[in-house]
Amino acid sequence: MAGKSLSVALFLATVLTCLGAEPLPLVKLPPGKVVLVLQPHHDDHTTDYGMGGLIARFVDEGYDVYYVRASNDEKDGTRDRPENDNINHRESAAAAKVLGMKEVISLNWRNDYTAPIPLNELRAQLIFLIRKYKPDVVLGHNPWEHYQKNPDHRNVGRAMAEAYWLAGNPNVYPEHFKLGVQPHQASYLFGKARLDWGLGHTPNVAVELNESQVRRKAVAYQTHRNVYAKPVTARAYRMELARRNLVIPEWNGLDDQEAAVQMEEWHMEWISRKRGAEAGVRYAEDYYFLDEFQHLPGLKAYLGANIRTK
Amino acid sequence: MRLAAALLGVIATQWCSYAQSSADPVLLVIAADTESCFLSAGGTVASMIQRGAKAILVRVTNDDKSAWKLSSEEAALRNRQESEQAGKILGFQEVVSMGYRAHELADVPFTSLRDRLILYIRHYRPAALFIPSPYAEYDRVLDHYYAARASEDAWRSASIDNYVPPFGTAGLKPHTTPDLYYYGPPLDPRRREPESTPTFVPQPVTLDIAAVLPRKLQAVQALKTINRAFAMQLKERLDATGRRLPLLNTVDDASIAKVVEENVRGLAATAAAGSAFALAEEFHHAGAAYQIPSRYRK
Repeated sequence: MAGKSLSVALFLATVLTCLGAEPLPLVKLPPGKVVLVLQPHHDDHTTDYGMGGLIARFVDEGYDVYYVRASNDEKDGTRDRPENDNINHRESAAAAKVLGMKEVISLNWRNDYTAPIPLNELRAQLIFLIRKYKPDVVLGHNPWEHYQKNPDHRNVGRAMAEAYWLAGNPNVYPEHFKLGVQPHQASYLFGKARLDWGLGHTPNVAVELNESQVRRKAVAYQTHRNVYAKPVTARAYRMELARRNLVIPEWNGLDDQEAAVQMEEWHMEWISRKRGAEAGVRYAEDYYFLDEFQHLPGLKAYLGANIRTK
Repeated sequence: MRLAAALLGVIATQWCSYAQSSADPVLLVIAADTESCFLSAGGTVASMIQRGAKAILVRVTNDDKSAWKLSSEEAALRNRQESEQAGKILGFQEVVSMGYRAHELADVPFTSLRDRLILYIRHYRPAALFIPSPYAEYDRVLDHYYAARASEDAWRSASIDNYVPPFGTAGLKPHTTPDLYYYGPPLDPRRREPESTPTFVPQPVTLDIAAVLPRKLQAVQALKTINRAFAMQLKERLDATGRRLPLLNTVDDASIAKVVEENVRGLAATAAAGSAFALAEEFHHAGAAYQIPSRYRK
């Protein structure tokens, strides 16, 4: 009960603080069939600030979605590095399945060592995958966000920012064509970033989600048991609440692992509701969206007025 | 708006004083690629040339990927020749091509590019320097960012004699460029928000280019290989998605010129939006008053 009351209170607080603010426009999913999610880590597609809900929605609307994980995640978790690497790989595949993604492609760069990788080499791998999978839409970290301290997020985001369109240029890595792929440019990009880190990520669109998509996003997130939904966290909360003579009734009968999962689900529900309230819908996620003519600011109005269907 | 007007006044006064104090104040323009600087800064540069500046363009990359169905070698050659032609039209006295391969600046050692740019700054001793902005967000061309970072540091370190001492042995003295303009495409919705104080951080300015737009347009039209690639890529994208632009039903010199004109005019109108001008270019500007406050210098 306390959990639900807390959720309701937070929801109302969010709605009240959003009153008067201009709601973000709700974006329709762009046309296409294939989505490529390009992220450095095993869990980046499921974090609370994106993009599990959007992935679930793409899948629901008939897209094939593939996940590219650039690093081996050897440092994420409490075990030895090779063990972390293995567990995170397995959990990444399980989370991708929850969201309905087709495949996880691991590039196996060393975790938190992407800074010294030649950016062109990382970009070349992404370009090859874009040519192979032919995505219409690419999802990843917003490479222009501020205060991004994780070098993997920065570097993979930066490589993605150029790979998604440069893959269409036949003079770029022409040796790829020996392997049967063709130039292919993705036309749309959704960039995600934490909204509470400075001015660098001011989202320009919201994506509406339904309850099932939020639910799958929450499940995918806590599927990464090596790093999230840890029993020790729930145990610490219980001890602190007990010290104050408080309990969370919803946790009665749940063990620490189950309670930790419940907590993660509440959090995901809350953040999805908060973004939804800001956009005037029940659930949402926020992104910086680059459409197919974003790079042509001088021509956008002309194209909007003059493009015809064949 | 008042701040922008005040800064404009400062820029105009400064530029007049350069023009009066020297027969030919030098303007150095550093570009990651030719097209980006012509589109974002060509009008302002043309305007300063009209007022007596001697202008030099330094192309960092060779534009070898900006072509439609040409080899990299052929693209690099044509784009170099056409950049020189476009430079002449705009009024540049010289176009220097550094020759880095396009879209590969990310892995060029920062200091090697910076030190080469220091040489140009010390050699030409400009009164004003135009550089790409490393703070231009949502620009998807990484060369702009890496050229920008190196240019910004070259501007700073060209004035300090401990940088690249061998140049000094050849008589090249340190040089401080008083006027610095950061240029970039108008993509970031927050690009006009002033940051910090005007003396400490370069501020957004909008400059009128209506009088020189025809010259800017003529110069951009001379980049024929780049423009053809631009038009063909646009047509290909529309074809692939079942759409068309009537103007590009037949792609020829006339239709390409028309698309390029729409782009140049559209960019100028976008930059002018919200200002007192109809056609403009936007910059972040650090003038003679710009300095790091003494309390931060240590």
